[in-house]
Amino acid sequence: MVTLLINAIKRLQVSTLLPIRTYVSVNPQSIPLDNSLVVTKKEWKFPPAYTKPREVWIENLDTLEEKKLGLFELHPSVYATTPRIDIIHRNVVWQRKYRWVSWAHTKTRAEVRGGGKKPWPQKGLGRARHGSIRSPLFRGGGVAHGPRSGKTHFFMLPFHLRIQGLTSTLSTKLAQDDLHIVKDLELPSDEPDFLLDLIESRNWGPSVLIVDDSDLAPRNITAAADAIAHVNIMPVYGLNVYSMLKHDTLILTLSAAAKIEERILQHLHSITTDKEASFKLNQV
Amino acid sequence: MGSRQVIEKSLTLLRSLPRVSLNNIRDNPGSKRTQKRGRAQHGGDKHGCGNKGSGQRQNFMRIGYETGTNPFYLRVPQEHYYKGHHYRRQYPPLSLRILQEMIDTDRVDVTAPIDIASIVKTGLYNFFPDQKHFGINLTDEGADTFEAKINIEVQWASELVIAAIEKKGGVISTAYYDPHSLFLLKNPKIFFESGQAIPRRMIPPQDAIEYYTSAENRGYLADPDQISQARIKLAQKYGYQLPIIENDSDYNILSERKDPRQIFYGLEPGWVINLKDECILKPKDEELLRFYSL
Repeated sequence: MVTLLINAIKRLQVSTLLPIRTYVSVNPQSIPLDNSLVVTKKEWKFPPAYTKPREVWIENLDTLEEKKLGLFELHPSVYATTPRIDIIHRNVVWQRKYRWVSWAHTKTRAEVRGGGKKPWPQKGLGRARHGSIRSPLFRGGGVAHGPRSGKTHFFMLPFHLRIQGLTSTLSTKLAQDDLHIVKDLELPSDEPDFLLDLIESRNWGPSVLIVDDSDLAPRNITAAADAIAHVNIMPVYGLNVYSMLKHDTLILTLSAAAKIEERILQHLHSITTDKEASFKLNQV
Repeated sequence: MGSRQVIEKSLTLLRSLPRVSLNNIRDNPGSKRTQKRGRAQHGGDKHGCGNKGSGQRQNFMRIGYETGTNPFYLRVPQEHYYKGHHYRRQYPPLSLRILQEMIDTDRVDVTAPIDIASIVKTGLYNFFPDQKHFGINLTDEGADTFEAKINIEVQWASELVIAAIEKKGGVISTAYYDPHSLFLLKNPKIFFESGQAIPRRMIPPQDAIEYYTSAENRGYLADPDQISQARIKLAQKYGYQLPIIENDSDYNILSERKDPRQIFYGLEPGWVINLKDECILKPKDEELLRFYSL
């Protein structure tokens, strides 16, 4: 009986290994048939230890129809880590809060005009005892424990939660086909319509965040994106969780993707005791 | 299921879910607990603070006060074991095991002389000169497994530690730094940015001179001949063959020492380090040269 059971279990062939796949949808027509594909194998300073690098297509921006220019490797520690939604959420809350100064304001009983005189004698009238008509119990009186203006909600999220927020968001974007790598940002025209058609035909967006390595993007894409409110360009050092989530699609140039990877890997593999120290106002 | 499969599975799962965006994310359930003041049967009434008195008003008596009776700390006789402990020099310990770990993980460069600045730079050791910390006490934990050949300068070392380092062909010396020099060594960047000239290192105070001039402790003010004698003596005591460092290929590294007035390796007192232009400004004035040469 026991042997029968064991054999049955053996025949089930339960595999815990999931097939490893590249997470970018492929339109077969867009792959060139000749051998013009560029396959980039990367030499990392910190190579992936137990997982394979993620392979993504390098796409183009200069034509409406999509062309695959080659394959590019992304480091799994940055672009394919655990998508921690809670950490992404904490990053978003932090980004909303650290710049928020609440200007709501109420007057206390001391600040409301009047109320200096005792409204009626302490005894003899049969009424409740009161010392001021601006007490919080009175209509038109001051507010007890009301909001006072200029309250900051600034706080610093721990360093590694900020790093993990970035890696989680990038991994989520890649897993959901919302991250695309392009060769460069050269557009044939500065017409906003061309960019809108491009986004439409590629099934991106509608809102798109474009990230480049340099501060100065090419003129055509700058002019085109300037006229469209939901297409924005950002340098690598401005990359943040909130903006990545606010835009549907994230477009990285080759150099931007490599730079993000390099910076995050550097932080993941270095001693960060000074960065983990509690934030001081004069530390910058 | 290993973590790799967990990651793969969660990323695969995300593909069939709606796009993660600002309006569909949330924190883990139960991760936030709001402070609530319970009412009625949910911890109401006195809210756990008892009836009246310091429990409710949080105006607790000072520690040791016994409501008027002669308190315990005055009743028992005093014994001054720790009298003046806050004036004594402290040497936060660093074990040979952790030093070996720093070397194994490439946090310390053994091809250059090691001093407190390079130890602090690893991020695994910290000290506070303003709290009477006067540097490293290298302790003997891990002495049996210590393997590195190094030239190290610490502020305090026991005989066994000296033996463990010299057995492997290394060199150890103990050196005194005044608190101001230690501030510089702990964070040189802040000092260099201030644009001041590197000061001279002060000589040890009276009660430390004996330690730092003794060859047994490998003091930096000891006679080099006596140190050579002490090295041989220690090797005989612990029963190991003393490697001859004169024949060593790393002789230049092993024989490098700081001047008793010098704080940083390679930098002399009186120099100004200009980080912005990446250059060093050296004094030329006769009076300055005389001051800094003393």
